[in-house]
Amino acid sequence: MVDNPGGSQVSAEVNAAWAIAKKDMFIYYIKPNIIVSGLLFPLFMFLAFASGKNVPLGTLIPGLISVTLLFSSSTIEPVSIPIERRTKTFERLISAPVSLHAIVFGESLSGFMYSIGIALAPLLVGIFAFGTGIPHPLYLIAGMLLTALCFSTMGTLFAAYPTESPGDIMSMLNLVRLPLIFVSGTFIALETMPPVGKAISYLSPLTYGNDLIQAAYGHPAYFSPFLDIVMLLLFFFIFQFIAHRLYTKFNE
Amino acid sequence: MDAITVQNLTKRFSDLVAVDNVSFTVRSGEVFGYLGPNGAGKTTTIRILTGITAPTGGSARIFGLDIVSDTIRARRQMGIVYETSNVYDDLTAWQNIMFAGELYNVGKQERERRGKELLEVFGLWERRKDRVHGYSKGMKRRLTLAMGLINDPKLLFLDEPTSGLDVQSNLIIRDVLHDLTNRGVTVFLTTHNIEEANVTCDRVAIINKGRIAAIDSPERLKKTIQSVQSIEVAFEKGIAKVLADLPGLPAANEIRKEGDKVRIYTDDPATLLEEIMEYARVHQNRVVSATTRGPTLEDVFIHLTGLSTQVKGGDKDGR
Repeated sequence: MVDNPGGSQVSAEVNAAWAIAKKDMFIYYIKPNIIVSGLLFPLFMFLAFASGKNVPLGTLIPGLISVTLLFSSSTIEPVSIPIERRTKTFERLISAPVSLHAIVFGESLSGFMYSIGIALAPLLVGIFAFGTGIPHPLYLIAGMLLTALCFSTMGTLFAAYPTESPGDIMSMLNLVRLPLIFVSGTFIALETMPPVGKAISYLSPLTYGNDLIQAAYGHPAYFSPFLDIVMLLLFFFIFQFIAHRLYTKFNE
Repeated sequence: MDAITVQNLTKRFSDLVAVDNVSFTVRSGEVFGYLGPNGAGKTTTIRILTGITAPTGGSARIFGLDIVSDTIRARRQMGIVYETSNVYDDLTAWQNIMFAGELYNVGKQERERRGKELLEVFGLWERRKDRVHGYSKGMKRRLTLAMGLINDPKLLFLDEPTSGLDVQSNLIIRDVLHDLTNRGVTVFLTTHNIEEANVTCDRVAIINKGRIAAIDSPERLKKTIQSVQSIEVAFEKGIAKVLADLPGLPAANEIRKEGDKVRIYTDDPATLLEEIMEYARVHQNRVVSATTRGPTLEDVFIHLTGLSTQVKGGDKDGR
């Protein structure tokens, strides 16, 4: 039997997760429904909001980055996993000698990388078209990485629902993603929200991701960057845990 | 050490008992056939043995490793080839087999060496850079089997390996199976093709309604229903009219069409043969060939599972 003699189970898990992410990159990044949902949808959302606001467009860049991260990171798995259930390639993943955590993480990793790539577009547009400065670049890096990680894991979590149709998962996911835009301070500042709206916003990971990105651009932050980072990590681990439980349950 | 040890394995889905207190062992180096009609519990058993589904009760061990508590180590011993050719259509054959190697943590050099070797053995090396999308069904099946062997497993699960394939693919896959068994690889084979099980397997288990109905070598299983005898007859003018007439013969218990011949089951072959010759003389439809047959593995299968396709009698419980 061939095995990697020097490799521990940890390296096996990491290798498998990376292999799954690479496979998704080759196959799914250029699928039309991924491009529509991950790239065009946040762009049109931005234009819809921007057209009704009498503020310099550059100031809306952090919100656009946040919304782009939300949509692009959570789009790959809800498309790829149902398709792989239909073609039975998902069986190949869940019967491999790696843990479900590695599979969930590998699937999320592809959404994560896709999302970072897509979010560079509004970032660069902000810098070169509007001259938007970034006084705290480390906050921006942390905010983008953690927000993408959080929502790609959320996408994997939703994709646990045992269906072979991406549309079924996208419908459920949009029931969550669309309201998040309105309650997370992306285009409507948290300070202007009624108390109920604020209370709901605390339950949204996008609130903390957007807050950290706004802080990076020197905009007033609602929470401390430290709290934003802790909350994003907390949401990531919760999503990872629930996703693991759901994949275990639905494979029975 | 036995390759597979299954004890009192049970799987329930609400009220449905898919696998009901099943026990068997598969010896190391053995080709073990797992036969049963649709819905008998074959797929559920494989899903448990490969660690995809947990059993409701009982235990399953792969080379001594409990599949529930030691899933990952147990899976490293095995290769799995599903009934559906689950390859990635958007990737090339090379990318597919490299991906399988990465999932099984096969080192890069070894992965590339074995990948090349397997694609050559399965006749896919020349097409390795083509996307699988354009492959025929047989080529996809061969690639699926190659991917299942990338980690050089000690135990191979094969679900319907040659179902509906072209002759070339069938021959290649059978050659590879022969080579694997010569090298001492244990093969757990599910198939609907009873003749394939008959010629390939050292032992077969027949599962029906979640329970094992029998386990033994094909030849010993056939001996258990030695009373089942039949005559296979071909007529000069074909069998269209014959199929309607022969059930009327007193010594015929059951009639089955088999290609351009009929197979007639009987308790008394000598009398039946006389009746057939008389029928042929009266109807001026000369007998081209007549061969007496003992029970086949298919007869055993039908006998044990209660399935029947007979023309005469209409008794669903078989003979």
